[in-house]
Amino acid sequence: MNRSTKMSLSEKQMGYVLIFPALLIILVIAIWPVMRSFWISLHDIRLNDPTKSEIHSSYGLDMERYVSTLPNLLRYVKREADSAEGSSKEKLNALQVQIEQMNTSLNQTGEVASRYQMIDQLLLDFKPVPTELKYVSLSNLQTESIKNTLAEIRAVLLQMSEQKLLSKPEGALGVIQGIEASIIEPNFVGFAYYKKFLTDARMWGAMYNTAFFTVISVAIELVLGILIALLINRPFRGRSLVRATVLIPWAIPTVISAMMWKFLYDGQNGIVAYLFEQAGLIADMGMLLTTKAGAMFSVILADVWKTTPFMALLIFAGLQTIPQSLYEAASVDGATRTQQFFRITLPMLKSTILVALLFRTLDAFRVFDLIYTLTGGAPGNSTETISIYAYKTMFAQMSFGEGSALAVIVFLCVALISIGYVKILGADLLSDGSSK
Amino acid sequence: MKVAKRLTSAGLTLLMAFSLAACSSTPQQASTDTTPSQPSTPTAPKTEPSQPTAEKIKLVYARGKDATDSTKKLVEAFQKAHPNIEVEIREMPADSGQSHDQYVTMFSAQSSEIDVFDLDVIWPAEFAQAGYLLPLDRLMEQDGIETGKYIKGAMDAGNFGGQQWTMPKFIDAGLLFYRKDLVSEAPKTWDDLIAQAKATKGKGGTKFGYLMQAKQYEGLVCNFVEFSASYGGKILDEQGKVAVNNPATIKGLKKMIEVVKSDFVPSNVTTFMEPESHTAFLEGQAPFIRNWPYQFALAQDQAQSKIVDQVAIAPLPAGDVGSAAALGGWMGGINKFSKHPKEAWEFLKFMTGPEGQKISAIEGGLAPTYLPAYEDADVQKASPLFANKDFVDGVSAAVSRPTTPIYPKISEVIQIEVSKALAGQQTAEQAVQNMETQMNDLMRN
Repeated sequence: MNRSTKMSLSEKQMGYVLIFPALLIILVIAIWPVMRSFWISLHDIRLNDPTKSEIHSSYGLDMERYVSTLPNLLRYVKREADSAEGSSKEKLNALQVQIEQMNTSLNQTGEVASRYQMIDQLLLDFKPVPTELKYVSLSNLQTESIKNTLAEIRAVLLQMSEQKLLSKPEGALGVIQGIEASIIEPNFVGFAYYKKFLTDARMWGAMYNTAFFTVISVAIELVLGILIALLINRPFRGRSLVRATVLIPWAIPTVISAMMWKFLYDGQNGIVAYLFEQAGLIADMGMLLTTKAGAMFSVILADVWKTTPFMALLIFAGLQTIPQSLYEAASVDGATRTQQFFRITLPMLKSTILVALLFRTLDAFRVFDLIYTLTGGAPGNSTETISIYAYKTMFAQMSFGEGSALAVIVFLCVALISIGYVKILGADLLSDGSSK
Repeated sequence: MKVAKRLTSAGLTLLMAFSLAACSSTPQQASTDTTPSQPSTPTAPKTEPSQPTAEKIKLVYARGKDATDSTKKLVEAFQKAHPNIEVEIREMPADSGQSHDQYVTMFSAQSSEIDVFDLDVIWPAEFAQAGYLLPLDRLMEQDGIETGKYIKGAMDAGNFGGQQWTMPKFIDAGLLFYRKDLVSEAPKTWDDLIAQAKATKGKGGTKFGYLMQAKQYEGLVCNFVEFSASYGGKILDEQGKVAVNNPATIKGLKKMIEVVKSDFVPSNVTTFMEPESHTAFLEGQAPFIRNWPYQFALAQDQAQSKIVDQVAIAPLPAGDVGSAAALGGWMGGINKFSKHPKEAWEFLKFMTGPEGQKISAIEGGLAPTYLPAYEDADVQKASPLFANKDFVDGVSAAVSRPTTPIYPKISEVIQIEVSKALAGQQTAEQAVQNMETQMNDLMRN
């Protein structure tokens, strides 16, 4: 017996071993992606810009772009010089020399020179340039001098084009831009995106829309959910049928129900819009989707319609766990229906309601498909939520660093909300008696 | 124990938060995207893969869905002329925004699976900047392509950073369609249009006077560009600097607000995209509509149109400086990672050259970008539009949307600010000012 206790772990250590797989899972599927998103959000990464498509930590040169644009620049300058006269001809010739000098000084590093030849040949044959040839790193000094030279050339060209001395100014100026774009800069931006979003009116607008939508729709859903749950908990004929039908809105895929509501709200033929107009709720059928308040109202109504059944179902499940004997005892003591509801039903339902609220709040906070399909954020961004903003930034504009920053912000909000709920819930549910 | 419990509960919180956050955004692209240059739905038949011989080179050509047989005919004609090249057609989604995202994914992975592909007119700058396209200057010079014979705006849309990246395939431009039976003479100016729309509303079973696209999406940018440019307004100047804040743009935007807020457009016109507006027009609900050329063919379709043979076409109304139509249309480009760039160029050259454009015009009803094609009798016979001088003039004068690699961002700024102005949340002056600040911020980065 003694030997075996030596080998085995203490109870406390054993506990950690048991928890370890869970921690590992949390680390891999929860913490790591968030950390990764956070890391990406500190960089300026754009999928549609080759010099920014990955994380660069130092200066460099996109050789492929450089090699394919430099001859163009020389050709443009030469062509301009050929057609120019007098002093401007001299200026252009001087420019040409300057460009060539810049190129030679770059080529002094043997690496650049040898690669230049290879890449030039590849480009001539229309062959793709392999990634290992593509990027050369530059020292800060080199980068500085190239940038200065290009800026000088651009200034001269710009001045000449303003004096109408060039025959095709946009050509040479465009190519200069192309060469400037071949310089790779370190794209670490730190907390610039967070700083940007914290002062971004659009972000706060989206945040406000999200919060407004969440609070209002969840509140309505909670009240309606409790009412429906109480109703279907009572014995009446055809109760099971009603219980099943109540779930229908929830069972319809969100995108489809959003499309459905879009037709119901339509300003020409929408039946809901028509009914509202007849009831005098709105002045004109078109108002539902074209005004700020109307669009927000429409979105909330559609969401309430869709997810109240979910709320009702959860609360209904909670209702069924309350023992009937409590009510019997209460009525023996002479408690009224209202008293029974507030003294027995609500307190017994507390944890059920909190769980339901947690689910719905997080769900509502991340709302995407319903609004994307129904309004797309229109009119004038008055229904744009934070998830839609993140989606547009990340996928429509391919700005991954920026989008990641928004995603991290969404994550922080969601984490805050859940921590808040878990704090309240924790006292009730997650605690195992240590607080007792 | 306590520590462990804390850890688990913290972990649970995070896990819950994350797993809920993770399933939040299902990237399902809806139709917020670019100009629907062709409202194409049915599937074009794929070309039958013929027996590959040893020396035969196979190209893959990707394009959006084609409702007609024109692509197939085009490929057949090309293969006849170039027996050593076989072309396979790869269909992309009809929604051009979806295609855009697929192309970007494919090319950023440096895939060589497609050789030649179609680009929406607003993509070339972005794709060129991203290094997805093969520059065509050298090839065009070699083969003596006369750029002057193409519609200038369409050719320019493929020019970025002083280099030519794409060849124009066909062109689209905003046009005014009107009911011949209700309107005796097409309006010349916007004020003229407003007056006529007011007067005609309600006549001949119509419910509205004018239809346009005013939802917060790419089509709104086109409508805005048309109003603004007809008063001389600009978004970016020739140097690519932000030039949106000027009296002409404000005047154009004010006119646009006036039209959208008037009682002769549908009260929910700010939810209208092309389908909503063309449906209402086909139902005979309005005497005027601003739309792309496909509207004409649609109006002639017995199956869905109640106004067959009653539709005429005119350039859009003019502002202070004249009429302006937004340029739409498609270009052809070569994937830089293509394994057969020379053959790909042969195909692109054929497709966008006189023969190819003639086939597309006759079989597909697409407006050529190659100007001499409009003098061709067969082309003129194909559609009354192509023989109509107003159409050719309107299309040739089309104004392109800003050519910039960050076009998606610029477009979004315009969509939001114009949409806010149309919804009455801000004045035209404020909208233009907001656009200027935001665009300048974007340009600086």
